[in-house]
Amino acid sequence: MGASAAAIDSGQGASLSLRCDGCGAQIHVAVGLRTAKCPYCASPAVLERPADPSRPDPTFVLGFVVTKERALEQARAWIRRPLFAPGAFRRAVPSDVRGLYLPAYLYTAVANADYDAQIGENYTVVETYTTTDSKGNVVTRTRTKTVTEWRPLSGSWAAYVDDIVVTASAGLPNAELEQVEPFDMRALQRFSPTAISGWIAEDPSLTKEQCLTLARTETEAAIGKRLAGHMPGDSHRALEYRWKTQHEDLELIMLPVWVLAVKYAADQPPVRLVVNGQTGLVGGRAPLSWIKVGVSIALALAAIIAAVLFAGSK
Amino acid sequence: MTDVLSCTRCASPLERGDFRCAICSLPTPVPATDATATTEVAAAVMRCQGCGAAVAYDVKVAAPKCAFCGAVTALETPDDPLEQAEAYLAFRVDPEQAKAALRQWLSGLGWFRPPDLRSAAIVDKLEPLWWAGWAFDAGVTVSWAADSNAGAGRSAWAPHAGTFALELSNVLVSASRGLTEAECEALAPGYNLADVSEAPEPDSRARVEQFEVQRSAARATIARALTNVAARDAAKHVPGSNIRKLSVAVVPERMSTRRLGFPAYVLAYRYGDAVYRAIVHGQNPQFVVGKAPWSWARIVMIVVAAIAAIGLVAAIVAFAS
Repeated sequence: MGASAAAIDSGQGASLSLRCDGCGAQIHVAVGLRTAKCPYCASPAVLERPADPSRPDPTFVLGFVVTKERALEQARAWIRRPLFAPGAFRRAVPSDVRGLYLPAYLYTAVANADYDAQIGENYTVVETYTTTDSKGNVVTRTRTKTVTEWRPLSGSWAAYVDDIVVTASAGLPNAELEQVEPFDMRALQRFSPTAISGWIAEDPSLTKEQCLTLARTETEAAIGKRLAGHMPGDSHRALEYRWKTQHEDLELIMLPVWVLAVKYAADQPPVRLVVNGQTGLVGGRAPLSWIKVGVSIALALAAIIAAVLFAGSK
Repeated sequence: MTDVLSCTRCASPLERGDFRCAICSLPTPVPATDATATTEVAAAVMRCQGCGAAVAYDVKVAAPKCAFCGAVTALETPDDPLEQAEAYLAFRVDPEQAKAALRQWLSGLGWFRPPDLRSAAIVDKLEPLWWAGWAFDAGVTVSWAADSNAGAGRSAWAPHAGTFALELSNVLVSASRGLTEAECEALAPGYNLADVSEAPEPDSRARVEQFEVQRSAARATIARALTNVAARDAAKHVPGSNIRKLSVAVVPERMSTRRLGFPAYVLAYRYGDAVYRAIVHGQNPQFVVGKAPWSWARIVMIVVAAIAAIGLVAAIVAFAS
């Protein structure tokens, strides 16, 4: 197949120099990527490497479903939405649209938790009170009041935790990935180089240990949410839990995402948007227009002052 | 005979074509391929198997596609076939016994039914069928939390929680569209799951109901059924006589499912001008479920008698006072 690799530094970042399988020309594959395109014959190539435990091959891949046109449409709709964003941002046209396979880890485990909580059990009481009626007489009346009795509850809880997805790329933080989740894991495909051929595909740039820490953080939040739903009573408070996981498993998966840049001002860096390549969900952080925020606060304050003055004049 | 692989996390049997365990989501072992392992770094161009041109993933067809000849390369996806019965429980009740079971059932429905129901009912239609369903076994760790009146203070409710292990064996879940869930539940205890054959009896005229659901949808139905069974059992563990807000979390293990055809007779019988439906078990004629007419004359008679009795008591009380 290809010739042996030579690591070179072209001055624009280190890359691997490989012989194109199609025309024999040299392809430079940027370090950290799994795919490249031959500049001479335009053949899409996928990097094949000997097995290396420190750089595992993906187990699964989720294919792109959202086309570039739909991703752009979704992004344009998203850009127009934030009311407090600068007008230039809301009118901006996203550019530099790139579809890429993002490396991520799929985490599953058995979760066990011991919890303590205060459970609120409501009951009603009839209370007597005195008030003044419309004629100015002091009268005694009754009313029904809901009171909460707080009872302690301790227990154990166990369940499977599945489909926790965390980024394995230092380029796209987990918080940004969470904005475009969930991905539909029913569409999982066994990883094959053909599935990513012709697309940008990154190698994991975070270690498995770093990803495991991220996954456990997400798991803790997921357990807390599920435990909150597990609590009986009319309400609960002071829910505390100690948790542990068993039979943890992390699998490398390639997720389809569209990444777009929105350049809206010459003196501002472009805003990055991420579009889920499976569902079209858009994530990003719109900039704030401090003028719009200031005007809104001033108007709100003016409205409050006017209301207070009006109430005082009556 | 092929070895059945089990999940290393939950010990549930794995099915061919699964990428992940259907119970706990642990990925299944990757089957070994014939391809020799790469020994050096290379930039491989994925080739079309038809024309040899380069192939790239095409989002419009959601698969790798050859830009030259248009051939689409299939990617390996999990199998999600339509469910098929793997075994059929044998009919142990013949049509005449089914009719007799219906008459026996009609005569035992109580005093509020027409007195001539057994003799006047005419069987219009009798259709034997194998209704589709699943039977599963599993060990389940159940965590529950609920409110009950046990230990209640000022409020009528007090919170309770607990865990227990539950062994489920031969739990039936209906996949039938012809029979209602209530009818299947009523028939379920009478089946002998050991009395099965791989194919319907060749001389049987019984209709075989198809599952009409895919494997993934079937698993969702079975998982819901397992949680419902666990919740019903958890209710027995909650102290007190009144329960509310029961919540359960389950960790199933060793879960195995069989797709079965369950024998039954669907009967249509006429009483007067109306037609009623009844289902007779195909293995045990003591299990019959269905609809039957009411005797409105008897119901009115009882109501009138009750009113008269209350009036009489009131008159006696008034006279005595």
